[in-house]
Amino acid sequence: MEALLNIENLEVSFHTRQGVARAVCGVSYDIGQGEVLGVVGESGSGKSVTALSVLRLVPYPGRITGGRIHYDGRDLLAIPEKQMRKVRGDRISMIFQEPMISLNPAFTIENQLTEALHSHRKMSQKEARERATEMLAMVEIPDPAKRIKDYPHHLSGGMRQRVMIAEALLLDPDVLLADEPTTALDVTVQASVLDLMHRLNQRIGTAIMLITHNLAVVAESAQRVVVMYCGRVVEQGPVREIFEEAAHPYTQGLLKSIPKPDGKGKLVEMAGIVPSLFDLPQGCLFNPRCPQSRPECVQSPPPWREVRPGHHALCWLNA
Amino acid sequence: MFWERFLHNPIGMIGVAVIAMNIFMAAFAPLLATHNPLAINVAQQSESPSAEHWFGTDEYGRDIYSRLIYGSRISLYISLLSVAVATLLGVAIGASSGYYGGWIDNVVMRVMDAVMSFPAILLAIGILAVLGPNIYNVVLALGLVYTPRFARIVRGSVLSLKEKEFVEASRAIGNGDAYIIFRHILPNCTAPLIVQATASLAYAILAESMLSFLGLGAPPPAPSWGNILSDARNFMMDNAMMTVFPGLAITLAVLGFNLVGDALRDVLDPRLK
Amino acid sequence: MLKFIIKRIIYLIPTLVLVAAMVFLLIHLIPGDPAAVILGPDATAEDVASVRQALGLDRPLYEQFVVWLDNLVHGHFGVSIHSKRPVIESISERFPVTLILTTLALIFALAVALPSGVLAAVNHNTNKDYLFMIGTILGVSIPGFWLGLMALLVFSVHLGWFPSTGFVPMWEDFWGGLRYMILPSMTLGLFMAAVVARMVRSSMLEVLRLEYVTHARAKGLSEWKVITKHALKNAFAPTLTTIGIQYGMLLGGAVVTETVFSLPGLGKYLVVSIYMRDYPVVQGCILFIALVYVFINTVVDLLYGYFDPRVQYS
Repeated sequence: MEALLNIENLEVSFHTRQGVARAVCGVSYDIGQGEVLGVVGESGSGKSVTALSVLRLVPYPGRITGGRIHYDGRDLLAIPEKQMRKVRGDRISMIFQEPMISLNPAFTIENQLTEALHSHRKMSQKEARERATEMLAMVEIPDPAKRIKDYPHHLSGGMRQRVMIAEALLLDPDVLLADEPTTALDVTVQASVLDLMHRLNQRIGTAIMLITHNLAVVAESAQRVVVMYCGRVVEQGPVREIFEEAAHPYTQGLLKSIPKPDGKGKLVEMAGIVPSLFDLPQGCLFNPRCPQSRPECVQSPPPWREVRPGHHALCWLNA
Repeated sequence: MFWERFLHNPIGMIGVAVIAMNIFMAAFAPLLATHNPLAINVAQQSESPSAEHWFGTDEYGRDIYSRLIYGSRISLYISLLSVAVATLLGVAIGASSGYYGGWIDNVVMRVMDAVMSFPAILLAIGILAVLGPNIYNVVLALGLVYTPRFARIVRGSVLSLKEKEFVEASRAIGNGDAYIIFRHILPNCTAPLIVQATASLAYAILAESMLSFLGLGAPPPAPSWGNILSDARNFMMDNAMMTVFPGLAITLAVLGFNLVGDALRDVLDPRLK
Repeated sequence: MLKFIIKRIIYLIPTLVLVAAMVFLLIHLIPGDPAAVILGPDATAEDVASVRQALGLDRPLYEQFVVWLDNLVHGHFGVSIHSKRPVIESISERFPVTLILTTLALIFALAVALPSGVLAAVNHNTNKDYLFMIGTILGVSIPGFWLGLMALLVFSVHLGWFPSTGFVPMWEDFWGGLRYMILPSMTLGLFMAAVVARMVRSSMLEVLRLEYVTHARAKGLSEWKVITKHALKNAFAPTLTTIGIQYGMLLGGAVVTETVFSLPGLGKYLVVSIYMRDYPVVQGCILFIALVYVFINTVVDLLYGYFDPRVQYS
């Protein structure tokens, strides 16, 4: 599969009073045309920061300090801001975790949807409104012509997330960065939003980077999975292999903590906590929590190895 | 914790130093002044600054430097006293109104709303217009005008605390209302009260200077910054320096309280720093 | 919306009655017999008696209050002892001056506060921001009336850019009148500019870190649009409340500013009337200004919903 977007050795640091936190540390992965890529990790693993880096929107005091992001024959980290702005929302768009706070409360849905259109295409307000209404219908919002006049606070969380998705897809982007799109929603709504995204991916062919802390979310929709821990990619491979033969103990831990749909089987909480970025352990970053830790894990950083074709892990095991 | 952070705030410390300087000026006015602030000297009317009269003299030949030094007494006295009146009244009204609730609360808060419906300085002007200009009337007028701000803070905090478990528990073991208010409720609103008091001190100094500028403050010949400025204004064309120094004195005093107020706010709510 | 306005006005009535009551009671705060105080020590007993009767002071207090309220509702603010004219007439002649002064001061304050507050927030914790903080703390510390005197000295007396004192109505000669209003309105508006600028800065800081701002950037909007549209409209709602409250500072400050610049407005009229012990005028002016202040804040409340549509008008 041809890589559409290729992240290469990305480095992001946060400069705070306590010191420099390396939130993303040499992260590389890519996403193919029309692919759904799951990016999984606990909070603080750098998965959201990586997505924000793709749009060059890492919040202060964070800074991208190294790496390349190849897209459409260019390095997104090197192009002028003006060109970058043409990429945002048009070629690569993003939806956020909290639909309750990601839409501006002071403007109508119409205003917020059409402004995205106006900023990238020349079109009349009437055309823009029509396109926006059509998109709201596509994300299955009932009575879109009426809903478009509403303010965000008139809508439920699930509806707002649909509005966000509609907005993100208005301009047929190549990539949709979806940062925990269902985490803030009710469980019943979660499934329908995920299902919607899955169907839109198949219908429009927009590649989706599905960022989540919950492996179960990516199980049905993603083709490949990237697992992140403390700002590093620790495992990457086809979704089936990850679920059946996870090579990294961290991924195995994540899998064990997924609740089974039938409620059977033991739910195992992973031991320990994510270390502070200001105080990382020696050797493998996961070793203090790792049930299979060995002497070399404490001494030196583990190698990035191919476990099977297209399936890599950052681990001393299987060495 | 709160005070420790405050002590490490450079802006706050500059403010404290400015206030301390003002208090020092007021306390040791007889030592710092070079002349009797009330002594009229017909031979030296409206003079420019000189070695003898550092800031010059006014139209009666009185030494402006000495009058400003003594003026700090009136300014500080009135502002401290009026804010003390406002704080005590406000705490008493706010605490009892919030604690007992019901129609008393309703009526009291409506009265507070009504007081706040007047621009503060205007109500003070009105009260002084009828009571006549004198120091205690200024204290009373400013005290009354600033009372609702304190009452609102205390009432809000009483309302949010009175249903809390520790207050219920205290009531259950038979503690009286006064004990509960003083022991459990007031200590929880000291921080906002201190911030409000500091801000009000800055306003009170400004207001006092405005009132005495209008002839509604401390009556002449007593030197207050506002009436020195008002005297100076009549001779502004001949002796411009006369108007400069009183204004600087007011600015500095107000600045001191504003700096401390800012620092306190930063310490209490560091998000907006 | 209409229902909300009506509700808001009904809610105002008790406050307005209390405001009227407080102004009414002012005259009874006068130590001794108000009529005697008004007329001074040389007045004859007959004069005192006639003034007492004219002011209705010989009737019981509650009756006086009912008459006072009834008069107010019918637009009668009393009669000047000095000029024998209805107070409301004199007020309507002088209020336009005060209204223009405070409006220009408001415009000046907003013109300074909005851009500087936004700029400080965008450049948070940089030298620009520190400079802004120093500027605004000076702005709230310098007495406006003294600054007015200094401005007169520098710009009128020494540089001759502006006429020193005097007044030409702007409704007769707009530009000529404006020249007389520039120094007064700027020195009056400075305090408000500083207060509002700080409010703009702190609400912008609060808003700029919210997710919808990042979202607006992710849409590909220009930074200018993100700030002036998405952030500013939200930050303006709390600022609006501050503006309403600070308008009272303008109305109060106008009393001193009009005295300093000899402007024939309501504030100057009030001060002169105090010196002349024309208490009906004092009462009328204070009540009128309070009503204006209440009116402005009611309008602010109604406008608030435009900037924050989450506010329910019900």
